[in-house]
Amino acid sequence: MRNASNWSRRDFLKTAGMGTLAALGAGYPRAVFAEESAPRATADTLIILWMAGGMASTETFDPKRYTPYEKGLDPNKVLSTFPSIDTNVDPIKFSAGLEKLARVMDRGTLIRSYTAGDLGFILHSRHQYQWHTGYAPPQTVAAPHIGSVISRTLGPLNNAVPAFVDIGQRFDVGEGEELKAFHTAGFLGSEYGPFMISNPEQALDSVRPPAGMSPGRFENRAGFYKKLAAQNPIGIHGSDFQKESLIRSMDNAHRLLSSSAAKAFDLSLEPKESYAKYNTGKFGLGCLLARRLTEIGARFIEVTTEYIPFLNWDTHENGHTRLTDIKKQIDSPIAQLVLDLESRGLLNRTLIVVASEFSRDMMMEGKPGKTVKDQVVVPEVINDLKFYGMHRHFTDAGSVLLFGGGVRKGYLHGITAEERPCKTLEKRVVIEDLHATIYRAMGISPKHAYEIEKRPFYVTRDGLGKPITDIIS
Amino acid sequence: MKPSALIFFLAGCLSVLPLDAAITPEQVLQLPVPAPGKVDFVSEVKPIFEASCTKCHARGKSKGGFKMDNREEALKGGDSGPAIKPGKSAESLLIELVAAFDPDNMMPQKGSKLTPAQISKLRAWIDQGAEWPGSVSFARPAPLNLSRRLPPIPGSPSSAKNPVNGFMDRYFALEKVSKPSLISDRIFARRVYLDLIGMLPTEEELQQFLRERPRVRREKLVEKLLSDSERYAEHWLTFWNDALRNDYRGTGYIDGGRKQITGWLFSALVENKPFDVFVRELVNPGPRSEGFAKGIVWRGVVNASQVAPMQTAQNISQVFMGVNLKCASCHDSFINDWTLADAYGLANVYSEEPLEMFLCDKPTGQKAPLRFIYPQLGNIHSSTNKKERLSELADVITSRENGRLSRTIVNRLWASLMGRGLVEPVDEMENPAWNPDLLDWLAEDLAAHDYNLKHTLMRITTSEAYQLASVNLSDQKESRFVFKGPAVRRLSAEQFRDAVGVLTGAGYPSPASSEFDLSSVRLNSVEAVEARWIWTGTETNQEKTVWFKTELILSGEPDQAGAVSSAGQGYSLYVNGKKVHGENGQRSVQTINLRPHLKAGTNVLLIEASVAAKPDQKPVQGVLFQASGISGGKPWKTATGTGWKWMAKVPADWNKVDQAGLEWDAVVDLGGYNMAPWNIGTRVDAAVSMLPKLGKIRASMVEADPLMVAMGRPNREQVMTSRPSVTTTLQALELTNGETLNQILKRGAELLVKKNQPEQLISGIYVAALGRPPTADEARMVRSFMGEKPGASEIEDFLWSIVMLPEFQLVY
Repeated sequence: MRNASNWSRRDFLKTAGMGTLAALGAGYPRAVFAEESAPRATADTLIILWMAGGMASTETFDPKRYTPYEKGLDPNKVLSTFPSIDTNVDPIKFSAGLEKLARVMDRGTLIRSYTAGDLGFILHSRHQYQWHTGYAPPQTVAAPHIGSVISRTLGPLNNAVPAFVDIGQRFDVGEGEELKAFHTAGFLGSEYGPFMISNPEQALDSVRPPAGMSPGRFENRAGFYKKLAAQNPIGIHGSDFQKESLIRSMDNAHRLLSSSAAKAFDLSLEPKESYAKYNTGKFGLGCLLARRLTEIGARFIEVTTEYIPFLNWDTHENGHTRLTDIKKQIDSPIAQLVLDLESRGLLNRTLIVVASEFSRDMMMEGKPGKTVKDQVVVPEVINDLKFYGMHRHFTDAGSVLLFGGGVRKGYLHGITAEERPCKTLEKRVVIEDLHATIYRAMGISPKHAYEIEKRPFYVTRDGLGKPITDIIS
Repeated sequence: MKPSALIFFLAGCLSVLPLDAAITPEQVLQLPVPAPGKVDFVSEVKPIFEASCTKCHARGKSKGGFKMDNREEALKGGDSGPAIKPGKSAESLLIELVAAFDPDNMMPQKGSKLTPAQISKLRAWIDQGAEWPGSVSFARPAPLNLSRRLPPIPGSPSSAKNPVNGFMDRYFALEKVSKPSLISDRIFARRVYLDLIGMLPTEEELQQFLRERPRVRREKLVEKLLSDSERYAEHWLTFWNDALRNDYRGTGYIDGGRKQITGWLFSALVENKPFDVFVRELVNPGPRSEGFAKGIVWRGVVNASQVAPMQTAQNISQVFMGVNLKCASCHDSFINDWTLADAYGLANVYSEEPLEMFLCDKPTGQKAPLRFIYPQLGNIHSSTNKKERLSELADVITSRENGRLSRTIVNRLWASLMGRGLVEPVDEMENPAWNPDLLDWLAEDLAAHDYNLKHTLMRITTSEAYQLASVNLSDQKESRFVFKGPAVRRLSAEQFRDAVGVLTGAGYPSPASSEFDLSSVRLNSVEAVEARWIWTGTETNQEKTVWFKTELILSGEPDQAGAVSSAGQGYSLYVNGKKVHGENGQRSVQTINLRPHLKAGTNVLLIEASVAAKPDQKPVQGVLFQASGISGGKPWKTATGTGWKWMAKVPADWNKVDQAGLEWDAVVDLGGYNMAPWNIGTRVDAAVSMLPKLGKIRASMVEADPLMVAMGRPNREQVMTSRPSVTTTLQALELTNGETLNQILKRGAELLVKKNQPEQLISGIYVAALGRPPTADEARMVRSFMGEKPGASEIEDFLWSIVMLPEFQLVY
């Protein structure tokens, strides 16, 4: 039992779980239980670290033959633009620039054989939708995000922390509408939707009184509202149920906004030295926020490098140069998150998943046998550094890194070809199996389903997901 | 081969059998012996069929070409030949298959095998002649709520006032419910304002209502609200945007895979287009209404059940017919009688080429014949010309004989006004109504009144049922629903935002679409278009841009001001030296909120217009502009015409230099706003008709903001026919510390603090928000909270507390 839970119980169990009572009466979809009973959970918290835009595995966790840049390079010869480095697990190698992560490989599992869906012409947000819901859009019903499924199925770990926290993504970007389409609880109902924190440095703003309102005034307003509502004569016409649900929700919100749990959202309270280890930019600070929330009892957190078309991992040019920078942004914070959770005794009950919608390659768009329309022009001969990098979208093999939460330690799953196309050769992993593995760790059966329009909607696609027992048993 | 036969084979279990299927003598010996004694079909055989056979071989389904709706069909068998040979059970294919000698060729394919005892019964039944009374049928039953039916109106005094009352009185008597009491006028006014036009009544409107004679005031109010075309359309836009998944932003637009129907829909509501015409124009659309049938197309390959024609089939079935075809788009439905062939038969009406059927994502090689989901209503004959097919489909759906179309919509309207439908869920119209006579009568009444939805709204809102005290939604979730009054509902996101907007004076600045058009109800003298196309009259090709100017003298600060502009090329608008709008496009019509930019006294309006077109475009030179507003209570207007001036080069610091020193030339009038080559007259009319509303635009007409999202405005990726009704903590968080609401309240408080004495302010807010003055206790509490001289922050917190009250947030 973690200390945080005790602490939360003391402070917050006075109220019912956030909205659970409301949800009971609101006609939210009910669970239809599959014949399989829920597996025993090996993790209480799930943290997804999202490498948005397509992380080239040959430049990160599955390095191939290194070809240094020189004018006149034949792009067909280039598989990796960085040299390999050793990790602390033999013979697993990473790409240079991930030295800190290389030293925590012994805490986790590396999947190199993740295969993204065949969705035809590449659209990042569509693959991301599929990764996050298990279903490719469009769907006949609004599919819920994996965070919403977990929020709906398991509820919050600490009532003062929203069960589904999403850190780092803004929607006023290209494909913003497509991103919104899966950052939602869908048919499960907005109670289970994401609590969005677009900038971790301003996380506190989302859990404290409105800007410009002193705590005193905030309390005063809440007190006045309560008095006014208590003697409000609506009772003669209104419905107690609706009224209570509103007042209870307002109460929950007030409790959250004035609780000491809000401190976890305040990154300025982090000791300087520790803050510095995470401070590689917005993503790094998101990892820090994830750690702080995990300490007080978070259920599901996603931290993204943020998807913005043609930025971050979405390298349509200058791939090599840009990855040098992006790797700096992720290496230290992710490694530090693993180490910090470990030193606090939380890693064994926290599952961390580092993933991306697909990989990239210099030449191949799509996958062998299913190539799709090229979106990036690759010159016959590379005479400019900007063409040196993985600029096309490759779906046949990608890397997923998992730590903690009961996953096997120092384990490599899946083998990919050493020559182009660097496709999956063994132990192919598809999204429903990856989800089934994650759900297994969280104690949810892949056949768990919710009823919508009288049909079962399974948490893994059509209930077909199979946990990868080599990774988690 | 029939398509359905093919599904059977693809299900992977049966190869084609020789017609004279036979089992070996050894196998005959292994069969359970026929049960002794006379077998009764109804009590002994029928249950076996129902448990193990009819799911796939009856009720409209005929896997393997075999259906067993009645004795004749059962004997005839399917693709593998006769299933039953009366008197010869050992030679009957049915027995062979249920005996399961061949694991790859046995029945039933799903579920448990038949027991030896069951097989014994079946053998005995066949040996005894396979008797099967004609009255027993497994055929798909005639669908409920499909054909027209006009029940007589119960003869009673209450019926005479409104036939709905008669049907409800009979219902109450039947259910032994003593009729609850009716609500007060004030509650009625609040309810009916919110339900019909989505706004709270103002104090003045309330007083006006209460001045009417009591006997007629409610009917008169309903009539008045329904004839308020503008506010009616603005309110029902939300309902239809949800149902037709029309939105101003959303997935699909990025790739041109989606199209709005905003302009068409809004005008249809303003004009109160008869519902049959409305549906016809969506089913067989023109360019302005085709967005609904077009669907949402994502880049790349999509699941067969979500190709655009299939989306259309699903959405038409759901929205207009109350039928869920979604399951049947992948496989014969497990939850109702719809089949894969039904779904594809309708989708093919919209598909350029007949679609290959996919069974759970696996191609079947088969194509379904064109078919409407209820062939009894009519069929689609022409198979080659899509436009003709659509026209035929529209004929079938909007046919007077289609009692489902009218029932589905009156049920939706009832649910919208009462919180729960006569049939539930509202998208499953094959379920029975709790008051079938009322449903049937309302549906016929709608059709008989030219499909006028306002007529049905009038019928319902003037009925006693609508005027009963509201009841708990949760109480209504009992296993057997009994109507005792309208359910308490929450304000929709739009109703909430509009109500807050009225309290604080903060509407939205401008609409999300330039296609909103109120010209049919609004173009009076103030709004009439006077703008004319103007230009320089001389060769200007040496210049990149030229400038046009007018001065506008206002007697006071504008309460409201807006402008419409367009130009042949790109242009920028400057007001008093500040650029307020820039536009690159050609021939676009833009609406601009000018209120923040104008002042009392002289205002200088400048338009900098591009002379040259983009390289691939022919220059079309002209400028069109009209502004109007109200200042100091007086309407004003200015528009391009011969009074405007132009010059080629304006000094960068033109606003500071002596205006008299600048040499402006007279412009040339090119012609009226409707002239060629622009031909944008209707768009200008639309834009000008919206000018008086800028700054007061309602929530239904703008993109969703975080407040509306939190309050339940859906992402319109799917058809939405209801919204959740219970507050969630995430919503409460947004209401408590969300930036959007807090900014609105803050600005509203700043306005109120200037204008009002505390006493007036308190009672004014109470009346505006809750339709009543504060009680003495409330007034005391508010005064003690705000103090003698409340500042903006006290007023802001008071406003917040009021709009968080259940009495404000609920419709009761």
